[in-house]
Amino acid sequence: MIKLKHVYKIFFPNTANEVLALNDMNIEINPGDFVTIIGSNGAGKSTFLKVISGIETVDEGTIEVAGQNVTGDPEYKRAKYIGRIDQDPMASTASEMTIEENLAMAYMRGKRRGLHQGINAERKQMFQEALADTGLGLEKRLQVPVRTLSGGQRQALALVMATIAEPKLLLLDEHTAALDPKAAKQVMDMTHKIVAVKKLTALMITHNMEQAIQFGNRLIMMHRGRIILDIGQEEKARLTVSQLIEQFTAASGTAFADRVLLS
Amino acid sequence: MTTGMQQGLIYGFMALGVLLTFRILGFPDLTVEGTFPLGAAVTAKAVVEGVDPIMAVILGGLAGALAGASTGLMHTKLNVNNILAGILTTSGIYTVMLRTMGRPNIPLLAHTNFFDWVFMMVGLSSENFSFLQYQVGTILILLVMVTAVRAGMGWFLGTDLGLTIRSTGNNEGMIRSLGVNTDHTKLLTLMISNFLVAFSGALACQSQGFADVGMGIGVLVAAIASVMVGEMFFGHKGLSRLLTGVILGSVIYRTLLAIGIRLNLPAEDFKMVTALLVLAALVLPNLKIKSKKTKVSEKIRLSGCGGDKND
Repeated sequence: MIKLKHVYKIFFPNTANEVLALNDMNIEINPGDFVTIIGSNGAGKSTFLKVISGIETVDEGTIEVAGQNVTGDPEYKRAKYIGRIDQDPMASTASEMTIEENLAMAYMRGKRRGLHQGINAERKQMFQEALADTGLGLEKRLQVPVRTLSGGQRQALALVMATIAEPKLLLLDEHTAALDPKAAKQVMDMTHKIVAVKKLTALMITHNMEQAIQFGNRLIMMHRGRIILDIGQEEKARLTVSQLIEQFTAASGTAFADRVLLS
Repeated sequence: MTTGMQQGLIYGFMALGVLLTFRILGFPDLTVEGTFPLGAAVTAKAVVEGVDPIMAVILGGLAGALAGASTGLMHTKLNVNNILAGILTTSGIYTVMLRTMGRPNIPLLAHTNFFDWVFMMVGLSSENFSFLQYQVGTILILLVMVTAVRAGMGWFLGTDLGLTIRSTGNNEGMIRSLGVNTDHTKLLTLMISNFLVAFSGALACQSQGFADVGMGIGVLVAAIASVMVGEMFFGHKGLSRLLTGVILGSVIYRTLLAIGIRLNLPAEDFKMVTALLVLAALVLPNLKIKSKKTKVSEKIRLSGCGGDKND
């Protein structure tokens, strides 16, 4: 599904602030994999997702998504295959537009957009069904502007939007980190369900070690732009948080940041 | 009064165009200061060359769309700052206008104008009209046209394509992640907007009986004032209300100007007054919010606890 070969990404090249965000990154992810990604701040986790979605271009190396070399493609061209949700609840929805308008735009992902009315009876029904699955009652509020929703409701909507047009890949960049614990759990359960039902390939960055172990069938740990640990399904099933931290310390030679330990 | 209403409807097309860029796309497009007289200049030249007035007005609008495309391409393909791109296009437009007209202005009083032509098409001879009849007749024509354009815009902004334009203004990163090339949506919006503005200029030239390179000075701030008047009275309750509100805003603004002139208020002060009004409209809502916020924090302090708005 995804193949990265010798990918390098350098921010602020030739300045004092030069950062090697991705340092010879190599990985192959199979269709249907749900990969959780952990690592300390500045490890390159977000950059990893951004070069896959095309928000950032790579300096060297190639990226394949669904068998296609997309290395030089702009973000809007890759969007056909890729749904993504950001940490910031404001980022993945259009706040001044209504729930149904947001869904109409998401429904047309990767399709040619013409002079068809964005909202009609048939689509409305489909949107209602998709929203009903979230169990938040949003299906009764189709005409409400998204700005009036809470962070958790917005992320739930974003999740429906990211998956309604059946992308091949779902990229989640700490999409529950900005939510209160209850909303975070709701959104995470919903994510788990949708990924399973739609048989999506998913990559999820998280700072929550328990979450990283609990969800998905593969866990990778990044440090200084590289993958330093890659744990498959069987080993992951037996893994505990303290083992994970031990392994991190052994592999990276540094201790995890406090924020990670506490979460 | 009737003059104010007529002017208001003519400038209503421009207000719709400005709404599209400034409010909906979030692109402060200064091109319109040049596009407005460009529409007039192209129309005047076409009429002098013997083109019929309806065709001439449409040509004027299309010239505006090209100017919008110029600003759009500068901004999206060459990465020129949006305000600067508009200024550069406007500067270039002055040369285009002078070259098109061959001089700074063209009088058209000797030619059949757009409205006479429409009266003729519906079998009326405007020569027999009294002044008032003529005014009311033109207002009716404009009313039909502006209503049609408003309905068209309402429909268009609800289409799949129209939704991408609105979301480009609202959350560009999000709509790009849904597979939309926002360079294209910006370009398209600028072309439609500047078409409307030039169309407005073309009609103004037809109604006033001349085109002049200087007729665009101050039209942008007037259009912004119209948009704000519209928002104040009719806005914030959905897009459809806003579209209608902006046209009414333009009519209200122009009518107030006409009354001001009738009352012999000094016309040279109008632009300053408009600027101050726009400034006030921009600043006042912020002051209101501030005072509300202090009230909320006082309440929290008094009750001794904060509320959690998240569910």
